[in-house]
Amino acid sequence: MNSDEAIMVEHLSKEFRIPHDRKVTVYEHIVGLLKGGNYSYERFSALDDVSFTVKRGETFGVIGPNGSGKSTLLKILAGVLYPDSGKVRVNGKIAPFLELGVGFQPDLTAKENIFLYGSIMGLTRKEIAKRYDEILDFAELRRFENMKLKNFSSGMAVRLAFATAVQTDPDILLVDEVLAVGDEAFQRKCSEKIEEIRRQGKTILIVSHALGTVQELCERCMLLKNGKILASGETGKVVEEYLRISAAGSGM
Amino acid sequence: MWLVDYRDLIWNLTISDLKVKYQSSVLGFAWSLLNPLLMMLVLYFVFINVFRLDQENFALYLLIGIIVWRFLANGTTMAMGSIVGRPGLVTKLYIPRQILVMSSVLSSFISSILEFAVLIPLLFILGAKVTPNILFFPIVHGIYFLIVYGASLVLAAFFVYFRDLNQVWDVVMQAGFFLSPIVYPISVIPAAFLDYYMLNPMTVLIETYRRFLLYGGTPSPMGLFFLLAVGVVMVAAGALVFKRLERRFAEEI
Repeated sequence: MNSDEAIMVEHLSKEFRIPHDRKVTVYEHIVGLLKGGNYSYERFSALDDVSFTVKRGETFGVIGPNGSGKSTLLKILAGVLYPDSGKVRVNGKIAPFLELGVGFQPDLTAKENIFLYGSIMGLTRKEIAKRYDEILDFAELRRFENMKLKNFSSGMAVRLAFATAVQTDPDILLVDEVLAVGDEAFQRKCSEKIEEIRRQGKTILIVSHALGTVQELCERCMLLKNGKILASGETGKVVEEYLRISAAGSGM
Repeated sequence: MWLVDYRDLIWNLTISDLKVKYQSSVLGFAWSLLNPLLMMLVLYFVFINVFRLDQENFALYLLIGIIVWRFLANGTTMAMGSIVGRPGLVTKLYIPRQILVMSSVLSSFISSILEFAVLIPLLFILGAKVTPNILFFPIVHGIYFLIVYGASLVLAAFFVYFRDLNQVWDVVMQAGFFLSPIVYPISVIPAAFLDYYMLNPMTVLIETYRRFLLYGGTPSPMGLFFLLAVGVVMVAAGALVFKRLERRFAEEI
């Protein structure tokens, strides 16, 4: 793998099997067998022969209508889902921002949750201790340090999560529509932080419906539909193509 | 190796597990220690007065059996839900999923050690023969950990696909409780079945604990070796099963 490539995806395919009659218990399996064993399912191709590369230091956007395979792609890159075929190579430490605050425990205090969430995001205890003050200050939650998370408003919890997550210092950032966090002022702060990460030369892959955000941040972009790449290249052109197909789609 | 790379995460998950567990009840921590004692009193009353059992130092005999058993029962039951109970950690980011099972078993392991810590003064008070052999505890308990962890890997992985496995396991544990010498002495087992009866690792395990805690003896090397072999095989088999089933966890949760 070339060292100036951060993400390289080759002929990636992923298929989901959707059973007609989903069985999730031993009981249902036994009953199903007695009734003659109906194990038929439908195939749903979430990604179909997708290949692309993201260069180091690039901000790359993935757009497309609902069900186009964007989230599946992101989950495969994050290592959550296994591809059926094809290759994914990632050069560097990945931080998946698929959802903020994964693993938060409502019964623990903000402080305890920072240490828990920080270690989930791949920080060591020492690193968290060193950045602890910075996290609290960024989240503007110093006063609530010892309050249990269940007493936080959802906005406060997300602020805490974002502040902790950005401390992970990744080489590659995977972002799924999480830029809309907290109130106006905090959103600005988050955008600035993302911009700062970008300037540091980190690679960012953004999956979004917000075409404005994508146009603002991404140099290059890729349009997915039904698991296939319809267009990829310079953001302006790809967005244009997206608008064209969605106009055509709604016109039918 | 994930065990080393993620040691901070494993520890943090274990600690938060314990904190949540002990905060959620009024008496918190005290309950988890009172529970085996109260259970012992109930069983003591039933078996001494109703079944007229005559076993030397029956209170301690029972209590050791109960505390040993609790680690298996609580450890596997809690760990079974450790994958399903934390969907975010499976579907939203990648960490080696064994970590969730490991930290769950570790938190039960620590609870179990605390229960044994309460047992120690009772050994003196109720007249057990306490000798330095009590120092075998860390070794035996370590081996026991392997057995529970191995079983938990299999259970947690299958539970993702079969959500009523906990009902089945409840019954298995219930049967196991009475198939192990917890509430009765081994001498009640007919000689013809004894060979089969001793194949149950829990029987060997419980008897080993009693040997060095209650009677002041040294555990038999054969018994220890047998338990260690069981533990190693279970962890290896558990890891293998887990690895095979892990691939589709995120799709099934």
